[in-house]
Amino acid sequence: MSRKQVKGEYIETDTGNKVARKAILIGTQHIMLGGKTVIQAEAMIRGDLARTAQPSSGAGGAAAPGSNTAVAIGRYCFLSRGCCLRPPGRIYKGSFTYLPLRLGDHVFVGEGSVVQAATVGSHVHIGQRVTVGEFAIIKDYVRILDGSVVAPNTVIPSFSVVAGQPARVIGEVPEGGHEAFELRELYKTVGNNPQPLPV
Amino acid sequence: MSSSKRQSILPRVQSGPKAPVNFSSTITIADSALLSGNHTININSESVVHPRAKLDSSNGRITIGRRCIVHERTSIGAASADPRPSESRDGVYIHDYATIEVNVVIESGGTMIGEGCHVGVGSKIGKGAKLGKHCTITPHSVIRPFEVIPDFTVIYSNGTRRMDKRGVTDLKNKAQARQIEVLRRLIPSNPSKFQ
Repeated sequence: MSRKQVKGEYIETDTGNKVARKAILIGTQHIMLGGKTVIQAEAMIRGDLARTAQPSSGAGGAAAPGSNTAVAIGRYCFLSRGCCLRPPGRIYKGSFTYLPLRLGDHVFVGEGSVVQAATVGSHVHIGQRVTVGEFAIIKDYVRILDGSVVAPNTVIPSFSVVAGQPARVIGEVPEGGHEAFELRELYKTVGNNPQPLPV
Repeated sequence: MSSSKRQSILPRVQSGPKAPVNFSSTITIADSALLSGNHTININSESVVHPRAKLDSSNGRITIGRRCIVHERTSIGAASADPRPSESRDGVYIHDYATIEVNVVIESGGTMIGEGCHVGVGSKIGKGAKLGKHCTITPHSVIRPFEVIPDFTVIYSNGTRRMDKRGVTDLKNKAQARQIEVLRRLIPSNPSKFQ
């Protein structure tokens, strides 16, 4: 890395998030980052598409601030260049509403992927140019190969490898293969003073 | 940290003159949408343009019908690599109730998107292609230039096609209207910026 920059490419927060200055975050008040999350340049998060319908009237009056999260992201997530996270929306009880998009920990989202899932579990690897349809539920330890199209409302079980258009389960994560999902090392390789991957 | 100048996070102002626009008073267009070109961009009533959608009319006029939704990062009116000339004066014509999803590229040159079409994420519509009414294009599909797609066709990205015989067009249009109602509240609109 010989590129010389006066200021770092990333903004590093106290909780260890590394957010590229060129990332496009819209509606930041509705985006929750768990910490140690990397958001690369040109990644887009649509936090402005927050829930408009109240979840239930019996919850007791005014909702707590920050409860209306549109996109919740866990720890050690990695959002590559040009990916896009947007909450899914549908007709609910007669009116249209967006519902929150939740990402677990150690979720990798590849370049140019568009994720409109309801829930993405922990230790999920989403390849490049993948489209995850609205209200898909992806469980833990799932690998989605490049160019897949996960149809809306799909549920992908844990430890599966999926690919294709539409995405189908094509295999299982091999025994002991779950360590490849750890993103702690990858987290260290980006930022304002990146360290090389240990070989 | 020697420089104290903070770079703007807003998209850079285009260097050229503003594209001529013709907006209805009821549209919702995000501040960070990108409009460029020298032909007119028409957007009819109650349509929604998401942030970072790119409308380029330099290759022909762009018309967007009533109650359309143009999602973020779309590129409407992109230049085509196809050298064949188009007979139409229109660049792109999107009819009423169409939805253009994220990362879609629609090339300019007499391209028509029929009423109630749903163009899926990351699809590419070639120059001069004509989609019939209520077509569904699944994500990552490619429509070749000058292709004509009949009404109610469903196109899958692996090349297979079928007809949509559900007959739910009225319901779909109603859902679209509801969605637009919500988007209007969520997306801060700033049409005056482009006029």
